[in-house]
Amino acid sequence: MSRFQTLHRFFHVAGATDAGSSPAQPGPAASSPGWLAGVLAGVLLATGAGCGRPPDEGAAPGSGGGRLFAVSFQTMNNPFFVDLNEGLRQVIEANGDRLVTLDAQFNSLKQKNDIADVLQQQPAAIFVNPVNWEGIKGSLMEARRRSVPALIVDAPVSDPELVLCQVASDNVEAGRLACEALARVNPGARVVILHLSVNKACIDRVAGFRAEAARHPEMRILDVQEGKGTTEGARPVMRDLLARFPDLNAVFPINDPSALGCLSAIESAGKSGQVTVVTVDGSREGVAAVKAGRLHSTSAQFPREIGRVAAEKAYEHLAGKPVDKDVQIPVRLITRENADAIPGTPPGASNAKQRPEFRMARAPGLAADR
Amino acid sequence: MKRTLPLLMAIVALTGIMALWVPDGRFLTPANLLDLVQQIAVNAILAFGLTLVILIGGIDLSVGAVVALVGTVAVAVLIPAGWVAAALCGLAVAGLFGWINGLCASRTRMPPFIITLATMLVARGLALRFNEGRPLPVPNQERVFLAMGNARVFDLIPVPVLLMLGAFVVTGVLLHRTAFGQHLYAIGGNREAARFTGIRLARNETVVYVLCSLLAGLAGLIHASQLYSAEPGSGQGFELNAIAAVVVGGTSFTGGTGTLPGTLLGAIIIGILDKGLNQAGVHFSLQYVIKGAVILTAVYLDVRRHQAA
Repeated sequence: MSRFQTLHRFFHVAGATDAGSSPAQPGPAASSPGWLAGVLAGVLLATGAGCGRPPDEGAAPGSGGGRLFAVSFQTMNNPFFVDLNEGLRQVIEANGDRLVTLDAQFNSLKQKNDIADVLQQQPAAIFVNPVNWEGIKGSLMEARRRSVPALIVDAPVSDPELVLCQVASDNVEAGRLACEALARVNPGARVVILHLSVNKACIDRVAGFRAEAARHPEMRILDVQEGKGTTEGARPVMRDLLARFPDLNAVFPINDPSALGCLSAIESAGKSGQVTVVTVDGSREGVAAVKAGRLHSTSAQFPREIGRVAAEKAYEHLAGKPVDKDVQIPVRLITRENADAIPGTPPGASNAKQRPEFRMARAPGLAADR
Repeated sequence: MKRTLPLLMAIVALTGIMALWVPDGRFLTPANLLDLVQQIAVNAILAFGLTLVILIGGIDLSVGAVVALVGTVAVAVLIPAGWVAAALCGLAVAGLFGWINGLCASRTRMPPFIITLATMLVARGLALRFNEGRPLPVPNQERVFLAMGNARVFDLIPVPVLLMLGAFVVTGVLLHRTAFGQHLYAIGGNREAARFTGIRLARNETVVYVLCSLLAGLAGLIHASQLYSAEPGSGQGFELNAIAAVVVGGTSFTGGTGTLPGTLLGAIIIGILDKGLNQAGVHFSLQYVIKGAVILTAVYLDVRRHQAA
């Protein structure tokens, strides 16, 4: 069905709706076909839209051959997960299979329902990026009951027994690298941490930072505050901290967006160059700030690589090979010295020969908003 | 019955489309349909309560936050005091919120939209106070509490579905078989006229908000059980999904018209759309567009019908 035929049918049915409930025949009886036609029209639109979408968005089950895989993300409103999805999709489609992507919109009930829906179709494997690391348990138990292997991407779960493997950035190392970079330029730093304390990935980053800070006796952590992981959340908090601690000369915001908020606060307080900012993410905006000399370092994550490795682990398992339970994707420190070596942004131009460390397609952004 | 007929036809048509569209005939299997009714349970229970509120010309935006708050309260009580105390405390908190909403709506001139917007923030904030916003797991040995959201009677009928049917029967009898229900239609149709016929507006209105909140409390208990944890951040947007079920079910936003069976069918339609589009492999972005289009179409046709009549 072509897009135009479908559109034609859509409008045709919508026209019938008008006729069905014309004022000449008032009352509920006249509205019955109207209701029906209305709903049908909506669904026909759906059919048309489904058939007419660009081929790069993954085919509907049944429209192509191969096995079905599914991934449920806590949100797709974040370039980090868009990239992770790409990494999964490339491997899966290269194997002649297909991937369905589901967006939980930070709603754990929707995630549970989405996964139940897709499990009914007996997929070869599912990938889950949980909204709630406790609440995902029911879905994982259901997957196990149906013998569908489940792989966790990016955010850990409380019950690793239920999953085949977990693939995530090495967040402890990311935090450690940030502290190490800071210690090199400012060994006696007076540092504050802008946390996102509900997020497991951020908890790990701060743990890594603290562990490394303990090895530098001159360094002092003055305070840990909630930065909400966003630019607009971090800015006022940083401004208050600058006013509170006159000797403050370094900050560790747990991701690039909050680092940008800190930079804005530092610059508006007239303290540019006096406060060293180190962070984790490696998003396009973060790398640009490093190149401009505003941000000292960012420990880059590689979401596409997380997706690629997760998909490969699923195939290894399906081929009967044993799979590691816990896979950590290395992070890489980006400072002014190597920032120029990071290629800009060739979106979609993911050259398989590129070394994974340099595959920086789109802005990774925040690892997990919750 | 005349009102529900178009909805039934829409359900049959949608089911037919999904049966053809979802590959390998996987939509119309008994297991999948049972899954469907289980998935709509929380939304339907919230929608039953909202039907009463919208029927009298009000609105309750706080139900989603009440779901989260009841979940956290219940799980916090559950661990030291057992499931009976947990359920009672959860429902008590919900009832308290409903009572405050009802009191403000009936005794003051504040608009219900603003009242419940404010109580939504209060409930959300209180929920997030628990456990610093992190999910609180339900211990595995709490079998009764976990059964509320996950067990199946005779290995077949999911418990949430039974709870939903129970809520449907109780609310339905109240609305369609008692003088109280008649009064709600009168209030929604014409407030002043209802007052002159001697209906006690304030008392009825307060009871409606309390009932709506109690139903949200029940939904909150089921939700926490289904998630094996209390999640302080959960339930966001639940009020909107429930309102969608209510209006698709034919309840008028201006009050005075609407039925509880209509709301149940509305919730089923939303459920079929969610599940069918997922299983047909429609891209998630398009699912929102389609759902929005269906809601808009349904409400438009409903409004036209009322203008014509």
